[in-house]
Amino acid sequence: MHDQVTDDPLLKTENPFAKKATAVGRRDKVVSIVLRAGTYFILLCAAYIFIDIISKGAPTVFQSSPPFINTDFFTESPQTLMTWETEDGEYFKMDFSDYSQWRRDNPDRPIVEEHSHAYSGGGIFGPLVGTALLTLICIVVALFVGLTTSIYLNEYSSKGRFMDGVRLAIMNLAGVPSIVFGLFGLMFFCLFVPVFTETPLERSFFVIPLGGGNHLSFEGWGTCMMAGGFTLAVMVLPVIIAACEESLKAIPMGFREASLALGATKWQSISKSVLPYAFPGMLTASVLGITRVAGETAPIMFTAALAHKDKLPWQDVNSLGGFFSQSVQAMPYHIYTVAARIPQSEYTKPMQYGSVFVFMVLVMSLAALSVFLRIHYRKRVKW
Amino acid sequence: MSSSENKEADGSSAEESGQFRNRGFKILGLSKQDLIRIFFGGNASVAIVVLVLICVFLAREAFMFFPDHHHDLKAYRQSGQEYVDFASDEIKAHTNLYSSLNIAYFAEVNRTAKTEDTILRAYRALMANLENVTAKTWGRFERDLDRLEDVEDDLSDAKEDLEELDPEAEDFAAKQQELNQEIESLSSEQSQLTTRVEELREKLKKEVDLVIDSEEVWNMGVGAEEPPAESKAKLREAVLLSASPEIDDEPEYITGLKAVSKEKKAKAAEELSDFKDTVKAMQASIRPLKSFQSELRSIASKNKSEIVSFSTAAGRKEAWEKGAQNAATEEERQRMAAEAEKVVIKEPDYAALNQPFYESLGKHAELIAPIEVEMAQLYAQIPSKKEVQTKSAKENLDRAAVFYERFENTVSKNREEIKEWRHDKPITVPESVTAFLFGRNWISNSSWHDFYGILPIFTGSFLISIIALTVAVPFAVSAAIYVNQLAPHREQNFIKPAIEFIEAIPSVVLGFFGILVFGETLRAVSQVEWLQWVPGFPMAERLTILNAGLLLAFMAIPTIFTLTEDALNNVPQAFTENSLAMGASKLQTVFRVVVPTAVSGVLAAILLGFGRIIGETMVVLLVAGNKIKIPDFTEGLGVIAQPAHTMTGIIAQELGEVDQGSLHWRALFMVGMVLFCISLLVNFAAQKVLKKLSKI
Repeated sequence: MHDQVTDDPLLKTENPFAKKATAVGRRDKVVSIVLRAGTYFILLCAAYIFIDIISKGAPTVFQSSPPFINTDFFTESPQTLMTWETEDGEYFKMDFSDYSQWRRDNPDRPIVEEHSHAYSGGGIFGPLVGTALLTLICIVVALFVGLTTSIYLNEYSSKGRFMDGVRLAIMNLAGVPSIVFGLFGLMFFCLFVPVFTETPLERSFFVIPLGGGNHLSFEGWGTCMMAGGFTLAVMVLPVIIAACEESLKAIPMGFREASLALGATKWQSISKSVLPYAFPGMLTASVLGITRVAGETAPIMFTAALAHKDKLPWQDVNSLGGFFSQSVQAMPYHIYTVAARIPQSEYTKPMQYGSVFVFMVLVMSLAALSVFLRIHYRKRVKW
Repeated sequence: MSSSENKEADGSSAEESGQFRNRGFKILGLSKQDLIRIFFGGNASVAIVVLVLICVFLAREAFMFFPDHHHDLKAYRQSGQEYVDFASDEIKAHTNLYSSLNIAYFAEVNRTAKTEDTILRAYRALMANLENVTAKTWGRFERDLDRLEDVEDDLSDAKEDLEELDPEAEDFAAKQQELNQEIESLSSEQSQLTTRVEELREKLKKEVDLVIDSEEVWNMGVGAEEPPAESKAKLREAVLLSASPEIDDEPEYITGLKAVSKEKKAKAAEELSDFKDTVKAMQASIRPLKSFQSELRSIASKNKSEIVSFSTAAGRKEAWEKGAQNAATEEERQRMAAEAEKVVIKEPDYAALNQPFYESLGKHAELIAPIEVEMAQLYAQIPSKKEVQTKSAKENLDRAAVFYERFENTVSKNREEIKEWRHDKPITVPESVTAFLFGRNWISNSSWHDFYGILPIFTGSFLISIIALTVAVPFAVSAAIYVNQLAPHREQNFIKPAIEFIEAIPSVVLGFFGILVFGETLRAVSQVEWLQWVPGFPMAERLTILNAGLLLAFMAIPTIFTLTEDALNNVPQAFTENSLAMGASKLQTVFRVVVPTAVSGVLAAILLGFGRIIGETMVVLLVAGNKIKIPDFTEGLGVIAQPAHTMTGIIAQELGEVDQGSLHWRALFMVGMVLFCISLLVNFAAQKVLKKLSKI
């Protein structure tokens, strides 16, 4: 009995090497819990926003009968929503085009109460197309300039004043507020860029006659998707350059050195043994760029976007130039319009939440794609 | 030019000459490789070119603002508007003082009937909401009820007719049948209507129940304090009573409450009659000055239009003349030429225009002196803070003290300035610059004079940014420390992409969320009893500085987080290891070694976060409330519950609606220039901080 309670450390339940509960340890624990709580609070806020928008937007986008997706919402452009009541107590809610049809069909049914809700009917096809076009123009331009710049910075340049200048410019460009890009785009792309025209406008900065009735007039493209796309491209340039550069940097020096040692020229080694391996990175860069650009409102407010447009971009256009020089509806601007510029009522809610839901899901899935691509390629490619 | 000599070059020549020089075709002495290099270099310089272009194009519009603004200010002075605004300032200062005292007085009076008023307010809110919800059903119900009455009348008429029908008449049978048919159709309609009315009545009842039971409405009306359960039940009864279709009169309970409230207030007013008289006397004292000012105002307006018409006359004449030259028909040409003739370019006689103002100098002094004395007397009579009981009255007395001082200052300052004032005193260049940079008003499209002072919108932007930063920095930095230093690997891999994900939320979506959801939530939170210590709570508005600040904080968190995390990552591993080896605990290492080493990076992250916040447009445009006024700092920290406008927001809101090249347009570009400079400054500062403070 007495022997059993020995000082044998193996029999002791307590581990002698275990950490002792000290005041410092307790404090550490509390502080790290606080830090952790702060971190998760941020994520909770994000989750709250997502859940709120998804739960309120889903009823507009989905329906309970096949095909389960509200196809009208995706294939029609925004319209005025009409609600009215006939004298015999029947209640109607229709888009404006259907409403006019109904009026023609039932000319003798007196209407007692009639309300119109701007932008609350129809769907979001127009804005979706507009955003896609703007993003496309932007990404083509930005990727071209961004890729070449990053190739220069990473492959050709040596340290010097020019390089410092370029780096400084890129860094400062990244910090410029988006609305300032909007102002710049308005002044430069809408009102200054040279165009070929037979009849120069009066406000043109200067006109160079080219003979044959043609002029090169510095009068700008006007408010159009070209101007908007270029403005966005300028804005997203730093992001694209940074992402492209990262992908070029990830390729080991050995690839270039081996290629050069085999007698390839500089350009041959870049085009054959650097660019192909940088392709996934560039894909990531462009997805990242699209994510950034698709959500921007301020730069396209004065350069490209329209709140309301009856026709889709490809209707009533006879030339390629005409196609690109028209203004478009765009999702972010559409959301701004329905959120702040129309009188609010219960009828505007489905359109509001539906648009925001679709837009957010689109942008967030692109963002998720870019995060995924980055992680995926980083993991897969091991030199 | 030199291409031909190299055309024949191929592999054999290199060995012969033994030189490793570039071969292939050349343009302007540049080989293909050089050209490719130049092509890439040229694209790289696009960034520089764009930055320069932004500077050039913004600056071009922005700096043309100053000459125009100078011209505008000159017209303001020459027309005498500046002189009139001396009096306007005094009146405004007086109004501020008077209205804060007035609010204090009513807060005191209304305090006595607080319970009754709360219930009455809830009643009104409920009824308003009820009206909204039931409007449609109600309209249909009333229509059907009317129709039912008509039908019943018709029915009884028809029945009477049937009874009075003369059996001997020859068409008796036909008429009887006709009437019977009519009665039949009417009674079927009657029964239809009756059932519908009953249905609608049911529906109305349901709707009423729905409104009464929804918590939201109760909170909206009742506010921070809940009335006792007993009165809540009574109130419910009253609402039900007034909602029932047959009763038009107000329920007795409500009438009773109103009477009690009125009685109590009357009693309180009697007790506070001194206060009331003082406030009333204050209101009366300014009247002579007001009528004096309005007289001068109309003269100045006339002067202004004359001056403006003179400054545009030359342009108009030219336009008519040009039109006459290009006119299609002779008739048109003559008409235009006549119009051109009509435009007289004659400089107004500024001295004569301003004569009335110089003459009124004495009168102004005569008017303001007794007002000042009277105000001093009256101000001494108002009750002290100790004598009042409500929070609102106390706050407003505090504000009144500030406003009284401001009034005194305005009067004494104006006394000097009015003496100095000359309509022909030239406006110096610094004056027109400071009028923009320190102007306290941004007023466009006004019938009096447009002011372009950046201070109101700058303060708005700045306040919002400060709130956003104070909220975002602790969260972002603590999250970065946690993720980088403390979290297990698995958790890191989850949190980092998640926070990056937040960065991708489009700002317009956040703004939308703020305007439709968060604003309402925040206001509801601000009504909660135990949160009343927070300055500015309870908030009356949905769209406020606080709302915008919190949303922007959420936007800035990913930026600050990512950059801080990078900075922490750059701290050499050896630092941490050494610290741990010395026996420091994990947290001691983090806070005494890692964070201080990375502090430059953290500061740079905060600065760049600030840059992102101040340049953000959509959230503030949607959520900040868009009120162009310097927030009222007399409320202390409660200023965060006020709406404001921002530099980014004002460009987005107003640029679409102004004429290209107008003063307003240029003012907006000037604001853009200020934003651009701020962003460059912030970037510059961030780089400096990184270089200077970097310890590694």
